[in-house]
Amino acid sequence: MGENHLTDVAVKRPQGKNGRPARLVTLFGSLGPNRENRVHYVFDVGDPVYLEIVHPARGRIRSLSLEVPAAAWYERELHDQYGVEIAGHPDLRPLIFHENWPDGVYPMVDSVKDVPWSHREYRFLEVQGEGIAEVAVGPVHAGIIEPGHFRFSVVGDTVLHLELRHFYTHKGTEKLFESTLVSSGTMIAESVSGDNCFAHAVAYSQAVENACRGDVPPRASAIRLIGLEFERLVCHVTDIGGLCTDVGFSVGAASATRIKESLLQASSKCCGTRYWRGVAVPGGLRIALDSAQLLEFGQAVAIAAREFLDLARVILETPSIQNRFETAGILRNDAARELAIVGPVARASDVDLDVRRDHPYGYYAKVSFDVPVTHYGDVMARARIRIAEAATSARLIQETAHDLPSGSVLAPLDLRGELQGSSAVESPRGELYYWLEAHDGRLTRCHIKSPSFQNWPAMPFAVEGNIIADFPLINKSFNLSYSGCDR
Amino acid sequence: MIFEVIERSLRQPNRVIPVEALLGNCDGSRMPEVIADRLSFAIAQRLVEVCPTAAFRIEDHNGRPCLRLSYGECIGCGRCFEVGEGAVAAAKRIACCGSAKDQLVRDWDLESRAEITPPPPNPEFVRGQIHSLMGKALNIRQLDAGSCNGCEAEITALTNPYYDLERFGIHFVASPKHADMLLVTGPVTRNMADAVKATYEAVPAPKLVVAVGACGCSGGIFAGSHAVVGAVDALIPVDGYIPGCPPTPAMLVTGILEALRTSKAR
Repeated sequence: MGENHLTDVAVKRPQGKNGRPARLVTLFGSLGPNRENRVHYVFDVGDPVYLEIVHPARGRIRSLSLEVPAAAWYERELHDQYGVEIAGHPDLRPLIFHENWPDGVYPMVDSVKDVPWSHREYRFLEVQGEGIAEVAVGPVHAGIIEPGHFRFSVVGDTVLHLELRHFYTHKGTEKLFESTLVSSGTMIAESVSGDNCFAHAVAYSQAVENACRGDVPPRASAIRLIGLEFERLVCHVTDIGGLCTDVGFSVGAASATRIKESLLQASSKCCGTRYWRGVAVPGGLRIALDSAQLLEFGQAVAIAAREFLDLARVILETPSIQNRFETAGILRNDAARELAIVGPVARASDVDLDVRRDHPYGYYAKVSFDVPVTHYGDVMARARIRIAEAATSARLIQETAHDLPSGSVLAPLDLRGELQGSSAVESPRGELYYWLEAHDGRLTRCHIKSPSFQNWPAMPFAVEGNIIADFPLINKSFNLSYSGCDR
Repeated sequence: MIFEVIERSLRQPNRVIPVEALLGNCDGSRMPEVIADRLSFAIAQRLVEVCPTAAFRIEDHNGRPCLRLSYGECIGCGRCFEVGEGAVAAAKRIACCGSAKDQLVRDWDLESRAEITPPPPNPEFVRGQIHSLMGKALNIRQLDAGSCNGCEAEITALTNPYYDLERFGIHFVASPKHADMLLVTGPVTRNMADAVKATYEAVPAPKLVVAVGACGCSGGIFAGSHAVVGAVDALIPVDGYIPGCPPTPAMLVTGILEALRTSKAR
């Protein structure tokens, strides 16, 4: 069989243990030993460990997108990064590179020094019909927000169709990992999505630890749990405050920012960083925190969490809030499942997923907690899920800080030879998955499945049929990271 | 219910941090401070080795080796604290927020173990001039040129009841057409280059541009990526730089006020 022969590789979605088709976790490319393209399909079939299928892609691959809509963006990214031909894909427009990127340059395969500037065309989907107007928003938005483009087709106030155009903050992060020292990779991971930097650092570190079968000291695992739950708490407090801002409820918004700041200051006092940057590292932690400090931190968290839950109760009982939150931006369960949505957004649409419970890692096997799930799928449902999760996070932080294992926080790892490993973490936005390959202590490939990349395609389904004025509110209730998506 | 919240808010103590406590404060940013008399050539070499963004360099200064620290490139990873044997610690105060690019750099002579042209001894030197700046309106348009959103999180914090930027007469506005200052974060990505230029052009003159964070000042960890054009000043003229990864709200306040002060002095 010649190199140019087209071999249509077709992967079938496996069946999951719960009787439903398996959930697509991620899909990405890598280069084999002879620099040939390979495609990795990762599925969650209901086992603690994910199922990974690797296919050589010497010729074309057959698109999975019609059977598994969640694969659509991944296949477009694969096409942009590796130049893999994908037969039968419904929409192969460029995803991550815009008009100024030349056709036929694939950064994960080709040399990308001095890539020339180009002017190619990008066509938005056009909705035709009487009385339909187009509203273009972004990439620069009216506020302190990340950039992205939204193209609404509206009839009057009602949104008929929303097309997303993202990847404005694409920084070539996966390529940057290549040839980076394994021990330095956390620094890049921390800059994938700044407000979830600790989840990224932990997911990356765990992938390295899994790759070289290294153990993390129990004390480091416990402190990582504290950091991860802290990040979730901060993220949910911010988000509830943001929802208040978007409906003009200033008192609630200001109170939430005050509570958030008190949490960040407690963190700064405890570990010298407001967002737990530079704390996690493969093998454990970079800094040894003493138990008294962490106990004090736990108490500060408890006070802030109590204030937050008080505030949350009042917010949810306010009739004008109920009026705006309820029935706005409903994401139906079937859309959520087809697009393999993760995190609080999935749980608000009756998709019962949580990596902490379903695929326990680190210290999570040692603690008990409930995973809130509801079926309404509207802004109110997502707010309620976040509030419930914030309460759980605060409890887990205090319990863990009270009963910390003793000992060191860093174990040496043997990084020699060929390594390959992966790890999933429940970040505040949902399942975050790192897959990496290294050779003698240097990374050769690192793929990041970010929950935002997974969840963005579901947003238009929640927006359609709503009035355009509710878009900021619905967007905030999804709370997705642009940088995490664009990488 | 709403009255319950308002009543509780009114009972809360005043949390505004006084301006004196904010200016120059960089606690929690993990920016390094060099303790000159503990420096040695061997330590300097180790600092250069472990620094992931080459913020530390050994340079030649009139035939003598000197250690150069460029704050604009520092991502605050803290590795220099680990290998510095006490010659590097987390800084509590920083003097180069919002100033020109050459002021982000500090040099130490490795033989005499002394700083070459140290910054003004008192970083609060702006205090006297701060009152002349207060109460006059400054409209800021924040522009994300490709950041990881870490800087955005801290910029958002400026409006909370602790930092309360509005007390200086400073507002964040929705349109570049209403702005006096562009506060730009992130390395400028290839995909954002056109939008950054268009936004800059939409701001009426006279305009100030302040680059925020390691990425905005130097490209940070993303410098050299195929998808990134470079630091903010690779594309548009910049008047002030605020280092940090991310800079703390106190550093942002200092930087914004300092950029304003130096522009008024010009």
